[in-house]
Amino acid sequence: MVMRSLVTVVDDDDSVRESLPDLLREFGFAAEAFSSAEQFLASGCIDKTRCLILDIAMPGMSGPDLQRELTRRRYEIPIVFITAHSDQTVRTRVLERGAVECLLKPFSEGALLAALHAALDCN
Amino acid sequence: MANALTCQDESGRCSSKSVLDIVKLIFAAAPLREVLTIIARSVEAQGKGLLCTIWLLDDDGRHLDCAAAPSLPGFAAHVGRMSVGPEGSACGTAVYLRQPVYATDILSDSTWDNYRHLVLAYDIRAAWVWPVFSSQDKVLGAFAILYREVRGPDTSDLQLIEDVSHIAGIAIERHVNEEELRRSEARKVAMLDSALDCIVTIDNEGRITEFNPAAQRTFGRRREEVVGEHLANVIIPPSLRKKHLEGLARYLASGEARVLGKRIEMTAMRADGSEFPVELAITRIPFDGPPSFTGYLRDITERKRSEEELLRSAAYLAEAQKLSLTGSFGWNVSTNQHFWSNETFRIFEYEITTEVTLQLILDRVHPQDIPLVTQAIAQAAEARDLDYECRLLMPGGSVKHLHIIGHGIRDEDGQLEYIGAVQDVTQRKLSEEALGNVRSELARVARVTSFGALTASIAHEVNQPLSGIITNASTCLRMLAADPPNVDGALETARRTIRDGHRASDVIARLRTLFSKKDATTEVVDLNEATREVIALLRSELQRSQVILRPELADDLPAVAGDRVQLQQVILNLLLNAAEAMSSVDDRPRQLVIRTERDGGDQVRLTVQDAGVGFQPQSMNKLFEAFYTTKSGGMGIGLSVSRSIIESHHGRLWATPNDGPGASFSFSIPRRPESVTSAPSLGAIPAPVQHTMRSF
Repeated sequence: MVMRSLVTVVDDDDSVRESLPDLLREFGFAAEAFSSAEQFLASGCIDKTRCLILDIAMPGMSGPDLQRELTRRRYEIPIVFITAHSDQTVRTRVLERGAVECLLKPFSEGALLAALHAALDCN
Repeated sequence: MANALTCQDESGRCSSKSVLDIVKLIFAAAPLREVLTIIARSVEAQGKGLLCTIWLLDDDGRHLDCAAAPSLPGFAAHVGRMSVGPEGSACGTAVYLRQPVYATDILSDSTWDNYRHLVLAYDIRAAWVWPVFSSQDKVLGAFAILYREVRGPDTSDLQLIEDVSHIAGIAIERHVNEEELRRSEARKVAMLDSALDCIVTIDNEGRITEFNPAAQRTFGRRREEVVGEHLANVIIPPSLRKKHLEGLARYLASGEARVLGKRIEMTAMRADGSEFPVELAITRIPFDGPPSFTGYLRDITERKRSEEELLRSAAYLAEAQKLSLTGSFGWNVSTNQHFWSNETFRIFEYEITTEVTLQLILDRVHPQDIPLVTQAIAQAAEARDLDYECRLLMPGGSVKHLHIIGHGIRDEDGQLEYIGAVQDVTQRKLSEEALGNVRSELARVARVTSFGALTASIAHEVNQPLSGIITNASTCLRMLAADPPNVDGALETARRTIRDGHRASDVIARLRTLFSKKDATTEVVDLNEATREVIALLRSELQRSQVILRPELADDLPAVAGDRVQLQQVILNLLLNAAEAMSSVDDRPRQLVIRTERDGGDQVRLTVQDAGVGFQPQSMNKLFEAFYTTKSGGMGIGLSVSRSIIESHHGRLWATPNDGPGASFSFSIPRRPESVTSAPSLGAIPAPVQHTMRSF
């Protein structure tokens, strides 16, 4: 049995946490979802996660905060940011810090797949 | 004896007097009693034992006084006054009957019953009494011939009596006339002396003949120094003298008088040369001979000044009416007479000579306002005060807005009269309308402006469900395309798609309401509900700005009446301003409280309290000026528009500095009169509890 790569979703929006893991599984990935950065950090999924799909704006620790925290902890998980705000400054900043992609919600299936492939190729 | 009354006094005290002598005495204006005494003595000299008394009739014509009784010392005082009447005394009866009364023997004559004892004391037995007549046959008095023996008159006696009666009549009449003349003269002098007006008389050469005390005071001249002088030189200023002399000459030559019998105003001159206005009336003194004139002059300096002040006041009033576009009117309801000021005529655009009638007024009234004005006129008939606004439709088609107030009063005759003012408020009305338009437009602009600030928030609110829709739809397709198809999974994702679609649709519906351009409406508004909707729209923006919003919405808050969208606009502005005010705050939580509560019994208050930079107390008032802003990027239009909106809801909007950091902005508007709880809403949005967010 082939171990399917784990893609983890961290987003405070319910509908994203409902819908995105289903699509990822249809793509053939394993999927986990958390509603906050803090939950993810506490989950023990960090090591298994091959790719992190991370919302930027969240209550408490934000997506970029988590990116910095993972860097600080020397994790090199490829991160695909997703955001409903079209804020170029934030987008540029997170890409500079090593994010694979920053997708603007709503994004297409194709754009997500391309970003995931780019992320997993990094590994 | 018939023509000469000779006095041959046996005592020698008095020489005889001829009739001529007596007449000379009369015309020398000797005292009347002296003349009458001489006449009496002359009579007594005509016969041995003959005594004479003369009686004068009072001014009232009812009593007789003894004026002469030369041979009966003390007699006058002794008998006193006698009454005129058909009986009682011989003198009184003679005067009353205008005919002689003879008593041959007093002892037996009943006429003398009252006075018999008196005359018997003087040893008198016979008395003949004659009335004395004037040349006009008026009774002037009586005279009596008395004897100390019983005796009747013979022919020679009667002749004597006739002569004496005649001469006594002349003496008395002359005296009465002189007395009358003297009194008349005294009256005239008194009138001249006491007159307040200056009275100056001149002769036909223009020389002053009389100059009364008032004239002396007014002109500063003494009578003695001006009588005989030319009037022109005394009281007429040099510049007018030629005209005065020409006028006098013209009258004397042709009888043409321009000034006689009229009151004219002219300039006169005092002794010191100063000039002053006088009112002058000249009359010709109605005597034969060369014409002379009386001038009545009155110093009208004061009156002139009053007149000028009155004219000036009237001019000021007219100017004030013109500037304030306010006319005044009087309307006597009983007689239906109208009195308009010039400005009122100007406002109604009628000639000021027009005779005003109610119909004329109604002709100008805008057809739609005629019922209003007719009703006001009907009210006026009941003496109620008027205060209403109406429109005029002018002949050119333009419309004027008028504000009319009137106060009814009843005069002593019970007649109702209105005094009022009519103001042309067209400009104000147009300004108000323009202001209303500007307010609506500003509110719309502010909404659009806020839209810029809100774009991110809106995008977020819409993009979240859209994202879910697309993801679910993709999943759904893949599940259906699988072999075998995962129908259950596809159904679940399709359900989620529909749910997210509704979520997006709700956001759009709220936005459409908030940003639509529509005129202000009045509806029942639940301020809590309206606040929750605004918070829902702003949720993402507040999160992004790291603002912690704490709603404190009072339970059972009374509903208000107003324009829901405009009120939400105000709330939106206050929240965005508050978030903006805290954008540079890093040393403390960016805490924002929005609070609704009752304000007194009949107001509802909403407060937005931030922990931002606050404002300087001195700039408090400027906060609400259009285009004033403490923000570098803001338009600053929000607060002035917000205040305008709240004021249009009969409320007020104000700012107060907090005890701690930041400021509070509040508005208070009246609750709906009968508060009902069912407020239509755009769709219930759950109250967001607390949104705390941190980002990078």
